[in-house]
Amino acid sequence: MLTLALIALLLPAACFVLLAVVWPLRHQGRLAGVLSSSVAVATLVASVLALLNYEDPVDATLPWLVSRGHTIAEVGIHLDGISLSMMAVVALVASCVQIYSLGYLDDQDGPSLGRYFAWHSLFIFAMQTLVLAPNLLQLFAGWELVGLCSYLLIGFFWREGHAGKAAVKAFWVNKFADMGLMSAVILMYVATGQFGWDKALPPGTAELIAGLLLVGVMGKSAQFPLHTWLPDAMAGPTPVSALLHAATMVAAGVFLVVRAYPIFAAAPHVLVFMTWLGAGTALMAAVIAVFQDDIKKVLAYSTASQLGYMVAALGSGEAMGGYYHLTTHAFFKALLFLAAGAAIHTVHSNDIHDMGGLLKRTPVSGGLFLIGTAALIGLPPFAGFFSKDLLLEELYEAGAWGPLVMLILGVALTAFYMTRVVSVAYLGPPKGKSAAHAGQPEHEAPATMLGPMLLLGFFALGAGGLAGPLAARWGMHYAFHLSPVGVVALVFALSGMALAWLQYGLGRQLLPLGGGLRSLVLSAPVDRAWEAAWRSATLPLARGIGWFDRYIVDGLINLVGWGTLKGAALARKAQTGRSRDYLFAVILGVIVYAAYGVIGARP
Amino acid sequence: MSELLAQGPGLEAWLLLAAVLFAIGLYGVLSRKNLIAILLSVELMANAVNLNLVALSRYSGNLVGQAVTMFTIALTVAEVVIGLAIVILVYRTRRGIEADQADMLRG
Repeated sequence: MLTLALIALLLPAACFVLLAVVWPLRHQGRLAGVLSSSVAVATLVASVLALLNYEDPVDATLPWLVSRGHTIAEVGIHLDGISLSMMAVVALVASCVQIYSLGYLDDQDGPSLGRYFAWHSLFIFAMQTLVLAPNLLQLFAGWELVGLCSYLLIGFFWREGHAGKAAVKAFWVNKFADMGLMSAVILMYVATGQFGWDKALPPGTAELIAGLLLVGVMGKSAQFPLHTWLPDAMAGPTPVSALLHAATMVAAGVFLVVRAYPIFAAAPHVLVFMTWLGAGTALMAAVIAVFQDDIKKVLAYSTASQLGYMVAALGSGEAMGGYYHLTTHAFFKALLFLAAGAAIHTVHSNDIHDMGGLLKRTPVSGGLFLIGTAALIGLPPFAGFFSKDLLLEELYEAGAWGPLVMLILGVALTAFYMTRVVSVAYLGPPKGKSAAHAGQPEHEAPATMLGPMLLLGFFALGAGGLAGPLAARWGMHYAFHLSPVGVVALVFALSGMALAWLQYGLGRQLLPLGGGLRSLVLSAPVDRAWEAAWRSATLPLARGIGWFDRYIVDGLINLVGWGTLKGAALARKAQTGRSRDYLFAVILGVIVYAAYGVIGARP
Repeated sequence: MSELLAQGPGLEAWLLLAAVLFAIGLYGVLSRKNLIAILLSVELMANAVNLNLVALSRYSGNLVGQAVTMFTIALTVAEVVIGLAIVILVYRTRRGIEADQADMLRG
């Protein structure tokens, strides 16, 4: 099992190094893609085999930071139920996405494609480093590395304008949040002399560390108010949105909480805060999603919303619900993105009002989008139903009424905005660009795109059934039972669907969704607030520091240089070039010497 | 009186004379602008040294001082020859023999 895990970790790294160094191979775009995808599939096979062979938690580490003889931190892998299952999820979605990309990005030139797949291999390695980390320090290293991959992949279309800005924005927001994460890691060492999460902490310290970790989570998992980067990240290719910004990278924040849960369990105030933060984000993002016309932006806000569900659930004191939802969400959200990508590929537009009737035009990808939607809304027997039910039940048992109400409202909104998208884009007549091109032959997505989608669809459908057996394997008990909260949620979901169908499918304007509320939401108030803070605080501070650097620090150095030159100019006056003066100097020296000899040598 | 005359002025007087001559020569070297004047002053210093040597030789009864003087006179001649050669060359290239003219090594 250890060797399988090591293969799963290191094979993508080797692939990345190969593609990075051997540039003729990389410039053969398609070949690089096939190589990278094969490596991803091999990683998947190794991960699944390791998962199936799992018995007991095991560590395999090497000393990493050594100080005065003892090891402060180690690098290596830590295998237990959580890390192995997450590794398998990452490998599965990554493989699907890479194979899908071969079809989706077939219009890109060789070198660009090679670059793309090299980053993908690096991402798998980075994500696995994070997932398998035995301590917070390695987790942090993987965290930063996936952030880098996110920057690189969002900016893939950098020649086309705003992708570069979106990449930088994502990097900045995450870097800001990572100050919290880094502080937490350092504090952990200061408090306990090591970087693991198992050592008992005094309550105040636990709250502080958990709170700082949460700041990092807010950035990576797009929680309010650090969620602003995620919608902009949609500038990247759709497969990247599916892998990084839906299934895996953004889930890394949630994974961190699950992984370091002993710390959070000892920090009740942070947990309560998490329930409110998660629920608030979930509700807010769901509201914003209602007003989006870009299909990818709807899914992006939906992702932020669902991550809010996970964070809130983790605040209940139980980690299982949030983690379960993380895995099911990875499957159905990736599926939704890939299916949306197929729609974009067919229609050549991201706007849902340029689509219409896609279920008839491209039945396979359309049907798969519907499967993903059903899973997201939480309809039985799809996977999302089970994970949402467990999640809401945990919050109910923790007595978190405020968050619970917000989340159930969010369920209705989720159903509403997804049904809106389905009604406008997949049902009904072709609109906009689709209407303009009506009558021209259209193609369903190619097999390279459909295959991965079908696989993910299988999991979106069946993951609910897998949970029981897998949990039993790890000695945990999970049996699904319908809770009252679950029923309430289901009712809200169905009402949301019905409302949206009436409004968008049948055209009855029941809700006042035009005008005021719409312009408020679309004016992106949170973005404006951050921008104002940037302009009023960060930029002046940066200018001040720049001034200090230029005039004080550089000034000091320049002063030394100036002093040297002036001193030299002064000394140069003695070099007259006239032999008379030199002779005079010699004679002066002789006199001094003689004087010393006569006077100074006296005892 | 003739004993006094036979005795002579004494060693200190001779040494003082040589020192004064040396000082005059030194002053000349340092303050004259004309190259030939400088050479003359150098010559004066050399002669002051010779005087010193001979005086010390006479009053210590050792003839070594006088023998060394023969050598130094010859050396001084050689040095003056070279000095004059340099002066002539300087005159040919620079059209003047002012000491302050040659300041190409000026910093």
